[in-house]
Amino acid sequence: MKVKVCVGSNCTLLGSMNILDQIDDLKDIIIQDSDNYKDEKLEVEAIKCLGFCKNTDEKVAPVVVIDGQAMYKATGQTVMEKIVNKIRK
Amino acid sequence: MKESYVDLIKIRRQVFAQVAKMAYEGTDLSQLEKASFEILPGEVATYRDSIFRERAIVDERLRLTMGLNARKPTEYYRVTDGITEVDIDERRFIEPLINVITFACEACPTKAFYVTDNCRKCLAHPCTNVCPTNAVSIGKNRAIIDQEKCIKCGRCKNTCPYSAIVQYDRPCAAACGVNAIDSDYLGRAQINRDRCVSCGNCIIQCPYGAISDKSQIYQLIKALKNNNNMYAIIAPSFLGQFGPLASPEQIFEGIKQLGFEDVVEVSLGADITTLKEAKEFLEKVPTEIPYMGTSCCNSWTIMVEKLFPDQYEYISDSASPMVETAKYIKKKDPDAKITFIGPCISKKLEALREDVKDYVHFVITFEELMGMFVAKDIELSEIELSKEIQDASALGRGYAIAGGVADAVKKMAAEIDPSREIKVEGASTLHDCVKLMRMAKAGRKKGYLLEGMACDGGCIAGPGTLASLNRVRKAVVDFKNQSASNSPLENEIIDDELRSI
Repeated sequence: MKVKVCVGSNCTLLGSMNILDQIDDLKDIIIQDSDNYKDEKLEVEAIKCLGFCKNTDEKVAPVVVIDGQAMYKATGQTVMEKIVNKIRK
Repeated sequence: MKESYVDLIKIRRQVFAQVAKMAYEGTDLSQLEKASFEILPGEVATYRDSIFRERAIVDERLRLTMGLNARKPTEYYRVTDGITEVDIDERRFIEPLINVITFACEACPTKAFYVTDNCRKCLAHPCTNVCPTNAVSIGKNRAIIDQEKCIKCGRCKNTCPYSAIVQYDRPCAAACGVNAIDSDYLGRAQINRDRCVSCGNCIIQCPYGAISDKSQIYQLIKALKNNNNMYAIIAPSFLGQFGPLASPEQIFEGIKQLGFEDVVEVSLGADITTLKEAKEFLEKVPTEIPYMGTSCCNSWTIMVEKLFPDQYEYISDSASPMVETAKYIKKKDPDAKITFIGPCISKKLEALREDVKDYVHFVITFEELMGMFVAKDIELSEIELSKEIQDASALGRGYAIAGGVADAVKKMAAEIDPSREIKVEGASTLHDCVKLMRMAKAGRKKGYLLEGMACDGGCIAGPGTLASLNRVRKAVVDFKNQSASNSPLENEIIDDELRSI
């Protein structure tokens, strides 16, 4: 699974580093309880501004893209839930 | 701000970005009336009981960010009242720095022990048996603590086999190392100005975001638009604060794009402070003074001044790295206007001191700087690289992490006079700083160099940071290792005279 976390200026201001930290913590949870998770690599990447918020007046930051699907106004909570739902057996 | 307080962080930082944007665009300040609506549009409350209260609190944040006082709920004010006073291009400080937004405070109960549902009214009931004031009795459903009698010793909590008794405290008061949180007539937090040292720990710990400091970003941006000789000096903990893809060089370049002439590492001033404090220590301890306290953490020095006035003379006379860096720039450009950018809000007060105010003209935090980057649409990671930064030695760059100051001074002193063995002790929460000073006052720290820092972990944990402690610590160590010089003695930017030993 590929998780891309936007760390452009606006996303960083509104907490994308915290999302990265939370995903790192989640990796520990998965390792400790590996029997319950699929044997799928969790690739996390911090990426440059994707330009989502510049093309709209809506508030979309922070943006996270999981396997090509963009999540707007992402929080650690919503991102981790999505990851866990995808890889928990 | 505490990283897990996601919603609070968003509100707080959106306000910074909004005010910065208004300043850059030169928006008429009557528009400030509308800003809270733009930050929290719609009619459905997200965070509190009503959207109107949410917006009213954002209004107070906007005022504080403009540098104004929060309004008194008992008096009629417009959001923009007093705005002309702060619509200027120089620092305008209205006391106090740390403010409770009274109607955002939920008046949490003060410190107490409570019995929870875990209580089984057991036969042994050790909670009653260990209580020195007979305050615990067994009620109908569970043990009951008579709050009038309770002296908060915690024995009942420690002895309960079911973990049924919890200690409760207001997060602001628990975070305050100098006991400066009182209550007003409605039980809301009120700051005791005689004790407060403006460390900002209550700001980051309040789960309702009810406490905030004042900002200078509006006046700073106006100054950046009107002046040429604007310099930024950035604290050693800046590494990693602005996103994992922003390199130190890109951060410096981004700051220049905000309107600054040049950027200098405060670690340079740290090198100078190291040299001065090492010499001062060797000269004065133990003949003139019994021990010496470091001088770089402003809240620590204010704490000593307020709570241990007879010990204040034992704090180093050497200026802090912020001031030394500013003096270095002033020497090269006497017309320089200098902005300190750091993790710290206490520096906002240090910069007002009589001996500092002509050197440091503005102080902002990393959080506030990030708001400026967003307002100006600057993407740090997309900036073309400029030259490598080499202002400071590895020791100077280490100041950001607890223990780094004393370590640098100790190593420096050993280089100057290898025959002297220096004992070092550090404290890096305000609670521990107070304990350390009690020991020092009692004469137990003779011959020591004492490093006091108000934030847990050092400056990298300051209230104005954006990135987590571990993230920044790693980035600071990486940057430290990239330094071309190991010790201030090798730092050729510094005067030869000061480096001669």
